[in-house]
Amino acid sequence: MHELSFHETTFEKCLKCNACTVSCPISNTTLDFGGPKHLGPELKRMMDHQEVIDDSRIELCTLCGTCDTSCPENVHVSTLTSYAKAIHAKEKGTKFRDIVLSNAELVGKLASTFAPITNMTMKIKPVRKVMQMVLGIHADRQFPSYEFSNFKRRYNKKHATTERKVAYFTGCYATYNAPDVAGSFIKVMEYNGIDVAIPEQKCCGVPMFANGQMKQGLKNAQFNTNSLLEYTRQGYDIVMTCTSCTSAFKKEYASYLKTEEAKELARHIYDADEYLRILNEEGELNTNFATINAKVGYYAPCHMKGQGIGNPAMDILELIPGFEIQDMAAGCCGQCGTFGFKEEKYPYSLELGKTMATAVEELDADYTVTECGMCKNQLDQLTNKQVKHPMQILKSAYEKVPVNS
Amino acid sequence: MRPIIETEVVVIGGGVTGVGVLRDLTLRGIKAVLVEQRDFVHGTSSRNHGLLHSGARYAVRDEEAAIESYRENLILKKTVPGSVEATGGIFAKVPEDNDDYVAKWVKACAKVGIPTKEIPVAEAIKQEPYLNKQVQAVYHVPDGAVDPFTLAIDVAADAITRGAKVLTYSEVVAINKKGSAVSSVTVSNRYTGEKTDIHTNLVINAAGPWGSQVAALAEVPLKLINNKGMLTVMNHRINKQVINRLRMPGDADIFVPAHNVTIFGTTGRNVESPEDFSLDRHELEQMLKEGEALVPGVTEMRMIRAFTGSRPLYQDTDDSDSSGRNVTRGLALLDHSTRDGLDGFITITGGKLTTFRYMAEKTVDLVCEKLGVNVACTTHEEPVSHRDAKQFFKETDIAPAAKTKLFHWAGKNAKEIETSLNNETEDKIVVCECEQITWAEIKAAMPDGRFNLTDIRRRTRLGMGPCQGTFCNQRVAALAVEKGLATQEEADWALRDAVTNRVKGMGVVATGETSKQLQMMETIYKVSLGLNEEGKSNV
Repeated sequence: MHELSFHETTFEKCLKCNACTVSCPISNTTLDFGGPKHLGPELKRMMDHQEVIDDSRIELCTLCGTCDTSCPENVHVSTLTSYAKAIHAKEKGTKFRDIVLSNAELVGKLASTFAPITNMTMKIKPVRKVMQMVLGIHADRQFPSYEFSNFKRRYNKKHATTERKVAYFTGCYATYNAPDVAGSFIKVMEYNGIDVAIPEQKCCGVPMFANGQMKQGLKNAQFNTNSLLEYTRQGYDIVMTCTSCTSAFKKEYASYLKTEEAKELARHIYDADEYLRILNEEGELNTNFATINAKVGYYAPCHMKGQGIGNPAMDILELIPGFEIQDMAAGCCGQCGTFGFKEEKYPYSLELGKTMATAVEELDADYTVTECGMCKNQLDQLTNKQVKHPMQILKSAYEKVPVNS
Repeated sequence: MRPIIETEVVVIGGGVTGVGVLRDLTLRGIKAVLVEQRDFVHGTSSRNHGLLHSGARYAVRDEEAAIESYRENLILKKTVPGSVEATGGIFAKVPEDNDDYVAKWVKACAKVGIPTKEIPVAEAIKQEPYLNKQVQAVYHVPDGAVDPFTLAIDVAADAITRGAKVLTYSEVVAINKKGSAVSSVTVSNRYTGEKTDIHTNLVINAAGPWGSQVAALAEVPLKLINNKGMLTVMNHRINKQVINRLRMPGDADIFVPAHNVTIFGTTGRNVESPEDFSLDRHELEQMLKEGEALVPGVTEMRMIRAFTGSRPLYQDTDDSDSSGRNVTRGLALLDHSTRDGLDGFITITGGKLTTFRYMAEKTVDLVCEKLGVNVACTTHEEPVSHRDAKQFFKETDIAPAAKTKLFHWAGKNAKEIETSLNNETEDKIVVCECEQITWAEIKAAMPDGRFNLTDIRRRTRLGMGPCQGTFCNQRVAALAVEKGLATQEEADWALRDAVTNRVKGMGVVATGETSKQLQMMETIYKVSLGLNEEGKSNV
C-alpha cells in the first residue's frame, strides 16, 4: 500500500492557478491528457482518506518536471503525478513492454553484449513490424545504438587520488549507448587535474518512475543513495553527464524517499557543465581551449531546465574561442525517455517534437548540442544535423590545443 | 388580488426540521406547504459540522439526547443512505484531559446502549495519521458524517414527489388570525416582492434561530437562545473518521470529514440576531489553539473558509450560561394553544441535525392529534431515494474523478446526467475542478426560479473547493447566459452575490496560501472581469 497512501502534503499549497497546465508540453499538444494540475495536486486532494482514483490519462505524463518549475507555490507536481502513475500501474497492471522499457539498465547490458547484432536487427523493418505488433514499440521509432565496448569495459576506477575528487554516476545511456560521452568526461576532468572514480551504481530510476514502477525505482534510489554517500562523505563531488540522472538525484530522490540521507546526497550532486562552471568561478578551470570555429544550436533538455541551474552547458561552451552557440529554446523534444518508443504515444511524440525540429531547421547551425541522450534520439530522427554532448566538444577543444602552447 | 393557496398545514422554515416535518406530513396524507425565506438549509442546517452523532458526546451529561441520537443515527443510516457516510468515529483522550471522565463516559455509553470499543493507540494513529501521537486512550464509536445539503434537498424532493408544495425565497411577513386561531400566512417573494396568502388552520414554526421572530408575527412570546458556533473548513480531508475529544463537551473538539474536506469546530456564543453570521479572527485563533490537542499543527494547516451558524436552544427556565453548553440538545415541541392560547400554532425547536426526523415525528404526531388524523409515522422505515449511481456512467467518457463524484452523488438525476454526458460534448466540461462537477450535473441540479450560484452550490458543491469559485462561478455564469438559462443581469447579480459570500468566509482564514487564493480571486473578478459592487461585469 506504500505507494497508494504516500505522504506528500505540498498539494495543499496549490492555488489552482493552472500555471503548470499552461506550461505542460503534453497539455499544449493534446486535450487527451488531464493536465498536471488535475492529475497531480487535484487528484491527490480528492483521494486523501478517501477511495483511490485511477486515471489512465496519467500515462501521457512524461515526468519532464516542467510543472514543478512553473509552480509559483512549489507544489511537487511531478512527485504527485509519478505516484498517480504508480497507482495506475497497480490498478491496471503494467504492460510487458513498459517493464522492458523501464529496465533501461538490463536492456543496455543485454543489447551491448550483442551490440552489432542488436543494432542491425533494430534497423530491419520486418523485425520492427513484429516488435510493434508483439511489444507495442513503434516500428518507425529509431533506437539509439548500443556499443559492445560499453563504458564499464573501458574504465572502472574505484578511487580518486587527486585533491578534488569526482565520483562519476555514469548512467545507463553513457554506459551502454554513448561510452564516448563518458570517456570524454573523464578526459575533460583529466585536463583539469581531477581524478574520477566510478562508484557502484544502478539505473537512476527515472524510466521506472515514468512507467509507474515506483517500488523498483525507489529500490534503485536507495541503493544509489547508500553507494554515493560513501563517496560524498569522503569528500567526493558527484558529477553526472545525463541531466535526467542529475535531476533524479537532486529532486526526485529527496522528494520521493523523503530521507535525510537523500537530502544530504542532493547537496553534492552536479551536472558536469554545472561543475565546470563552478571550477571556472573559483578560478580552477583549465581554460586553455583550442579555437573551434563553429556555429551550433543548443537544445536544453527539460530535466536540465528543471534543476534551476541556468544554462551551464552554454556558459562553459562559450569559453571556447570561435565557438558560437545559440539556445534554440524550443520546448520539449517529445522523445521523453521511454515515452516516444511506445506505439500509442508515438504520434504525440512526433507532434511534440515539431517545434524542436523546426527550430533546428531554421537555425541551420553546423550541429546541435544537448546533454540528454533521449533528446538526441529524437533530434537524430527528426533533424539532419549531427548531435553532440558538451563533453565531446570540450574534450576536442582541449585535445586540439598544440602540445607546447 | 393576491394569489391564494389553500392547504392544511404551513411549515415555516426550510431547514432539516422543516423539510422533515413536511415529508412526515405528506407521508401521513396531510396537505402541506413549506415556506422558506431563502433557499433550503440557508440557516443553521447548513452551518454545522455535518456530524451524525452516535450519542456518545452526550452520554454523560444528557442521557436523553444520547439515546435519541443513537437511535436516530441507526435510522438515518438506513433511511437517508445517500446523505450519510458511515465513517465511524473515535473519541481520543489527550494527556491534559481528566482520567476520571473516561471511565464515567465508558459506563454512561454502556448504560444507554451506545457501543464503544477501545482501540490500541498505535492502531488509532495508523488509522488517523494527523491524530496527536500523545493520545492515551482511544475508543471507536458509530459516529458518521451527514451531508446536510443533500439531506434537506432529498427529503424535500421526496415530499414534493408525494404532493407537498414548497415556496423558497418566500419570507413570512404576516401570520393572520381569526379570533384565537391562526387563519392564514402571508409570504413575500424576496426577489419580486410579490405577496401570496396561504390559507391554513395550522402553522408550524420550524424557523430555527428565526423562531422568535416568527412567533412574534403570531404575537406569541418565545425566547430562544441563539448560540452561535464557528466552524472552519480544512483545505483537504485530514481524517477518515470523526475525531472527538474524550472530555466533557467543549469548544474545538470535533473534526468531521465531509467529502473532500474536514470541518473543524466549534465555539458557542449567545447572540441576539439570527442573522448574526459575523466571523471573528480572535475566536478562530482560540479555536485552533484548542484544536492542537487533538490534531497538532492544525493552526498551521491551510483552511478554505470559516463560517458560523446559530443553534436555536430552548429552555423553560432562565439561564445565564453564555456558552450554551449546558442547555439540553433535546427537542422542544411547543403547543401554543395550551401554552399561549393561540390555536393552530406549533413551534418545534432545539434538537439536533441527527434527531431532525424524530423532531418531525413528534411534531406531526401533535398535528395528527389536532386534525384528528389517525395515521402512524413511517419515516423511521420509509427511505428517501439513494444517491448511489454506480450502475450508471459505465460507458461515459469523463475524468475518473468526475465519475467517482457522480457515483456517489447523481442519485435520481443519474439517468438524465448520463444521457446528457453521452450525447453532448459540452456537457462533459468539468466546470468546477476542485469538486469535479460537470456542466451536465449543474444543469440537472439547477433549481427553478432565479439563477443563483449559491443555490447551485448547495446542490452540487460548486465552488466549495480550495479556489472557492474563482474559476467555476464565472464559467457557470457564462454558460448559463450562453444557454439561455439566465439573463446577463441575473448572472451579474449571482456572481456578485457568490463572490461576496466567498470573500467573507475566506477573509477570516486568509493567511498563507488562502490569502494568495483570495487575492487571486479578487484580482480575477474585480480586475480581469471588471466585476464591481454595482456596475456591470465583463463576464
